[in-house]
Amino acid sequence: MASRPAHSIWGRKIVEYDLLFDCVHCGLCLEACPTYAISRAEMDSPRGRIYLMKALAEGRLDLDSDAVRHLDACLGCRGCETACPSGVHYGRLIEDTRSYIEGNYRRETPDLLRRGLISAIFPYPARLRILISPLRLIERAGLRPLLNRMMPRSIRSWLELLPPLASTQTSASISSPAPSSSAQTVVVHHGCVAQVLARSEIANAEALLARAGYRVIHLDRTICCGALDLHSGNRARALDFARANVRALAASGANAIVSTASGCSTAIAEYGMLLKDDDHELSEKARLVASRVTDLSNLLLKRLPMPRSFSCTVTYHDACHLAHGLGVRDAPRELLRSIPGLKLVEMVDADMCCGSAGSYNLTEPEMANALARRKADSTIATRADYVVLANPGCEFQIASELRRRGSNIRVMHLADFLAMAIRTSDE
Amino acid sequence: MRHDMQSPRRMIESSFMDAGADGSAQVDKELIAALGKIVGDGGLVSRLSELKVYECDGWTIEKSAPDLIVMPRSTEQTSAVLRTLWDRGIAFVPRGAGTGLSGGALPVNAPVMICTSRMNRIIAVDSADRRAVVESGVVNLRVSDAAREHGLFYAPDPSSQQACTIGGNIAENSGGPHTLKYGVTTNHVLGITLVLPDGEIVELGGAAEELCGYDLVGAVVGAEGTVGIVTRAILRLIRTPQAHRTFLVTFEDVESATRAVSAIIASGIVPGAIEMMDQLIVHAVEDAFHVGLPASAGAVLIVELDGLAAALDDQARTIAAIARGAGATEVRLAASDAERGALWKARKRAFGAVGRLAPNYATQDGVVPRTRLPDILRVINEVSGKYQLAIGNVFHAGDGNIHPIILYDERIPEQVRGAIDAGREILAACVAMGGSLTGEHGIGVEKQGEMPLLFSPGDLIAMAELRHVFDPAERSNPNKIIPSAGSCVEVAAPHRQVPI
Ligand SMILES: Cc1cc2nc3c(=O)[nH]c(=O)nc-3n(C[C@H](O)[C@H](O)[C@H](O)COP(=O)(O)OP(=O)(O)OC[C@H]3O[C@@H](n4cnc5c(N)ncnc54)[C@H](O)[C@@H]3O)c2cc1C
Ligand code: SF4
Ligand code: SF4
Repeated sequence: MASRPAHSIWGRKIVEYDLLFDCVHCGLCLEACPTYAISRAEMDSPRGRIYLMKALAEGRLDLDSDAVRHLDACLGCRGCETACPSGVHYGRLIEDTRSYIEGNYRRETPDLLRRGLISAIFPYPARLRILISPLRLIERAGLRPLLNRMMPRSIRSWLELLPPLASTQTSASISSPAPSSSAQTVVVHHGCVAQVLARSEIANAEALLARAGYRVIHLDRTICCGALDLHSGNRARALDFARANVRALAASGANAIVSTASGCSTAIAEYGMLLKDDDHELSEKARLVASRVTDLSNLLLKRLPMPRSFSCTVTYHDACHLAHGLGVRDAPRELLRSIPGLKLVEMVDADMCCGSAGSYNLTEPEMANALARRKADSTIATRADYVVLANPGCEFQIASELRRRGSNIRVMHLADFLAMAIRTSDE
Repeated sequence: MRHDMQSPRRMIESSFMDAGADGSAQVDKELIAALGKIVGDGGLVSRLSELKVYECDGWTIEKSAPDLIVMPRSTEQTSAVLRTLWDRGIAFVPRGAGTGLSGGALPVNAPVMICTSRMNRIIAVDSADRRAVVESGVVNLRVSDAAREHGLFYAPDPSSQQACTIGGNIAENSGGPHTLKYGVTTNHVLGITLVLPDGEIVELGGAAEELCGYDLVGAVVGAEGTVGIVTRAILRLIRTPQAHRTFLVTFEDVESATRAVSAIIASGIVPGAIEMMDQLIVHAVEDAFHVGLPASAGAVLIVELDGLAAALDDQARTIAAIARGAGATEVRLAASDAERGALWKARKRAFGAVGRLAPNYATQDGVVPRTRLPDILRVINEVSGKYQLAIGNVFHAGDGNIHPIILYDERIPEQVRGAIDAGREILAACVAMGGSLTGEHGIGVEKQGEMPLLFSPGDLIAMAELRHVFDPAERSNPNKIIPSAGSCVEVAAPHRQVPI
């Protein structure tokens, strides 16, 4: 058989070239892609983006603002991986492409600033806490709506995404029994932004796990999982974060690792791949840690004592990385269905991204808003009392859009919802 | 007369040479402004890197990017766009989702591409009359999704149904596994709104079941976009069968599987579908989706019965007996809807699964009389050996519609050449056995060269004349289907003959 070139001679080393050939250009992924659903143009589709990567790799295309725009517009939601029959590793392709873009393309200053700000603050909970502390005061004084109105549009949209900060302070709403000594152990990874803005979710997740008979292990300090960096092309720091997490999680000895933010759990579940070229000890540990990642719903299913009854109508939104990354779709639904009195109605395109996607709604507000509107439409059409989901980013995004519409559908994280249902039925 | 239509030399490098300094293609600014006024700026694609993405459809052997893409949102916009092009003498190529496998949406002497992706509204589902009115850019599966709550579905179910559009289905007269019982697209399209190349909007057919006069809808279905742009269609919906019985039947070889197919048909039972996969495909699918297909099988059949629950059990027993009589080593009945769903998912994603075996593949599409299936498979085997290219077979066995999937690597020129030649040899054998060049994927550019095998020059002229009734100037998807003098040019150099 004739030999084939590993790279095109003019090519750029942008991604692992062979991986691009997993894509057979069949187009079956188009409708699964949220950005294609909005723009209806193929540059904003998985097939189109892979084609751009390929043309870039083969030197048939310049890394110009057009190409970068469409690659930036990718949510990294991985809906395409679920849809693709050919097993394209889209997540890896886009992460490597982004890393290449950050190294080889000069962004405009406002864009650089925005990205720099996100990158300097979000992964560090202490910094985020300081930044939002004045906002807490303003909120307590009842002045947040006024502040929002005073801000220029770009900042206002960021502010509107923030949940009411009072709600982020709540601790667990149910009590938890002491674990037995033989209980399985679980770490709830607290994430970075989540540990500041989504604390009740974490507290309730830990309380629910304890109720279900697990022993919850606490890490001294939770470091960002690195997903944010990986998705925005800052591979070097992502690797550092990943290594620190592998050491801490391996040392904890936990049997299972979960996160209330599915982007984080998916990132940890991929540490084995990410750190495969590290020294033997670390890469082995990474594989071990990765293999222990699961979802809260899997751990709770059939083990959590359910409330006696909780009458309401619920619709469930699939967080992208939970559905497309970890493949968890049924367990949360089954949990909900097992609550007597609860009626679960499916929304249209439940597993289509709401536009939150990590920091996407901050860097690509237009597309993010279009997706939020779409998600709100399908949520409202169900006439549910609650939309339940398992990722704080989606929670803020969908809540912000429903607030804007004046809808009274409540948006709740699965952990918060279950805790509420249990407490209400216990009372 | 044989034209060397499919030489890889036609692989056209989009000409960055004539790129404007600002990265936009050199298209007449006045034209862009005129079209932009009709569809809005968001409805135009004119940047070079963006156009590149549209340089091929599911048939990736040949490539050629359009100079401009227009994405109208309605029949009226489409009409105004075509009028604008008509006035300037510019040809265009329609495109739906670009899942076509014969290069139908490849621009050949058509500088402008009209993409229907934004015309994707389901206008009405009429449960009493069992009709759906949809825009042509609606995705096939969405029609059935919308009809489900009325207990109805849209029967033609190409394996690409999660992505392909109704407009593309109409153009290719697409079929699917359930074509055996329910027929192809043409049996399910009652009316069409067509925008002619000069912009005139015509309504063909209608919601009524039987219309008098010539069947113009029938002429547009299967015309592969050469008669104008379909913007709307009235579709027939079918009542969802009360029950299904879905079998997975294993055989040691393709011969015995084929015997079973013929015996089933001869028994008078009309299953909803009879699909066959050969060993290579079974392996690929099982590796990819783990649905429990038997790894040692020489061939498997998926046989599905549908209808009233009461009648199915008897039929199911008959089918099982026939299959065993033909030499089946295992007959397994899907025990639940989930199992049935998994089987179909695996079958419909078989093409993609094969994509995991090689960097590229070309899906062929031919038809032979059902009884000749073993013969054509023998030919395919020989061809595979001759060109040293692996070929898998997955096909609609009930209709004798074969899909040999030829694996190759586009980075190795002799493999590209081999894939093309192998495909041709297989198609020639189909015709020699009394079959046809395409069951459902269309002629496009891919099989133009083979048309004379099946049709006399007189036949081809008659076809061209029919086309001219709708499109006298050949502005809509020029140089497709019929091998004409114009299309036989070697398109080695950039082909932009029509300056805009
Ligand atoms: C994985 C895979 C599986 C497939 N399985 C099947 C199968 O089982 N059965 C089957 O029949 N096909 C199958 N196909 C082929 C393909 O999906 C069909 O031909 C489909 O109908 C094409 O639809 P599209 O929207 O993608 O059209 P496109 O590929 O965009 O266009 C196809 C042709 O239609 C024309 N066209 C598109 N829209 C219009 C319009 N509105 N008006 C006029 N002309 C128009 C184009 O010019 C072109 O000639 C498969 C393809 C793939 C990739
Ligand atoms: S990513 Fe997968 S589904 Fe999409 S075009 Fe490529 S092979 Fe097909
Ligand atoms: S990751 Fe999501 S947004 Fe990006 S190409 Fe895939 S489906 Fe589209």
